[in-house]
Amino acid sequence: MSDLYIPKLVRIEDVVEEAPDVKSFRLVFQDEELRDSFKFETGQFGLYSAFGYGESTFCIASSPTQKGFIQCTFRASGRVTNALSALSIGDTMGFRGPYGNSFPVEEWKGKNMVFIAGGIGLPPVRSVIRYALDRREDFGDITIVYGSKSVADLVYKNELAHWDERADINCIQTVDPGGETEDWKGKVGFVPTVLEEAAPSADNTIAIICGPPIMIKFCLSALDKLGFNDEQVYTTLENKMKCGVGKCGRCNVGDIYVCKEGPVYSAAEVKKMYDDF
Amino acid sequence: MILSKEKLGALVEQVKISGALFAAPAVDGGQVVMKSVNVADEISFDYVITANSAKEYLFPQTETIAVVEIEKNKVKLSAVEPDAPETVLFGVRPCDAAAFASLRSVFTWDFIDESYTKREDKSIVLSVACTKGDEGCFCTSVGLKPDTTDGSDLQLKETTDGGSFVVEALTDKGKEFVKKFSDVFDDGSADTKAIFTPDEIPGGVDIEKIKERLADPAHYADPVWPELARKCFGCGACTFSCPTCHCFDITDEGDVFSTERKKNWDACQIDNFTLHASGHNPRDTQTKRWRNRFMCKFHIYPKKFTTKGCVGCGRCVRVCPVRLDITEVMAEFSK
Repeated sequence: MSDLYIPKLVRIEDVVEEAPDVKSFRLVFQDEELRDSFKFETGQFGLYSAFGYGESTFCIASSPTQKGFIQCTFRASGRVTNALSALSIGDTMGFRGPYGNSFPVEEWKGKNMVFIAGGIGLPPVRSVIRYALDRREDFGDITIVYGSKSVADLVYKNELAHWDERADINCIQTVDPGGETEDWKGKVGFVPTVLEEAAPSADNTIAIICGPPIMIKFCLSALDKLGFNDEQVYTTLENKMKCGVGKCGRCNVGDIYVCKEGPVYSAAEVKKMYDDF
Repeated sequence: MILSKEKLGALVEQVKISGALFAAPAVDGGQVVMKSVNVADEISFDYVITANSAKEYLFPQTETIAVVEIEKNKVKLSAVEPDAPETVLFGVRPCDAAAFASLRSVFTWDFIDESYTKREDKSIVLSVACTKGDEGCFCTSVGLKPDTTDGSDLQLKETTDGGSFVVEALTDKGKEFVKKFSDVFDDGSADTKAIFTPDEIPGGVDIEKIKERLADPAHYADPVWPELARKCFGCGACTFSCPTCHCFDITDEGDVFSTERKKNWDACQIDNFTLHASGHNPRDTQTKRWRNRFMCKFHIYPKKFTTKGCVGCGRCVRVCPVRLDITEVMAEFSK
């Protein structure tokens, strides 16, 4: 198709200020037919356009079980994301996707789930969390370990409060030492430490990690100590991308094109990769 | 079949009348480059290799893929069809012609980039086999020859008297071209000049050995890498002059009222090429970026796209401001 790099127009239906510089948009396709026909899987990503500025890549943060819209969450940190951040409800932007592979959620029926995220790493994991909560009966125990630099930096605060209240989720929130407030009721400590203390059972369990590379590294060794093997652990490699379709040449980790064969990988696959992170 | 240089004028004229673009080696700014010519007098025969490759005729340095008009909340997005004129690429060196298969392999795996395929489909390649070369040439070290026919629709070899070319039609497209412009081609044959053969790379090169070594991720930790790449300061000249480099960026050029979405060449040697929004950069040193380029040429292309990542044109060696010579790295990894 000659429209390979041409985005679809979407309208911003809702904006949530999640944290300083972090916003979530709820997006609806202008083309009504596309609203119904658009399909994606958890873990897939898209390219989001701020016209006049360019495109940025992030995951689809909503779940395929939520119909009629997609949601994205991003931090204003560059030319495009700052321009996106300046948009408001009713404005038009662009979206193309979904691209990439997905979390094999169908294979995980009947399993316990451990979700581990740091900072802005929660959005891709949140897609799976929403999926699991919408099909709660398909999964066993659900543990969420989420941390950020400070209380203000936690994203999805409303949802975190809701997950906290639910008896069928073990939701553990933490902030880095020094990031707590006086009324903070969560933990204080780094995600890998808190994860090790929470000690979720590795038995019949899948763990998903997303966050800064250093956090992922230490969480992998924490999970290893807890008895998780590399086939039980998944992550998503959010590398910089411009095309999303295996042509522009920048998301590769050695010979692996993250946009095509990823972004979702098991820890076993990640450990076999070239050291190009 | 013979194409006399005297009849090139008629060929250029007839091609132009048919509405096609005629690109050929011609002097521009003191060097011989592939450029669009209007008359045969512009064509230069005095070149080892054109400064630019013919790549830009199929994969332009910059192209507009969409036009966006923005008025308050109304956004009008119009996709721009790729400008793909009928194009005659005359005088392309065989190494550059061989590179088209590599570009095609990237632009057609799974998703098809029609900007590329439409242009390639509408182009015809008339390569001219090499009768001279320089110390930068190393096609024979990557499994090609100065008269390789890969990627050529017609191949021309200069006659001993220098006045004509012996022409071989290699593809249906090539045969049709000869038929269409039959009055400029004459029957017959003649002796042709000796083909130039590049010197072997000092130390010798074993492409299979290079592939084998690169296939093992352990080579990333090899202390030879910082040594080899130390001189590189990341200007990207090697990538922009390379006939197989395919990396690009997608950017908006304009303002918030009217903007063009463009696909522009980009280079893996530039420091922010892989920079994340968070500040994390997977290829944060020039060594890593240079290693990636070598990996792309001798591991990713052959393994993933089953084509050649390097055709041995030698442009990266010639243009490098610090004389970082890819053939030295090839020799090192052939050990």
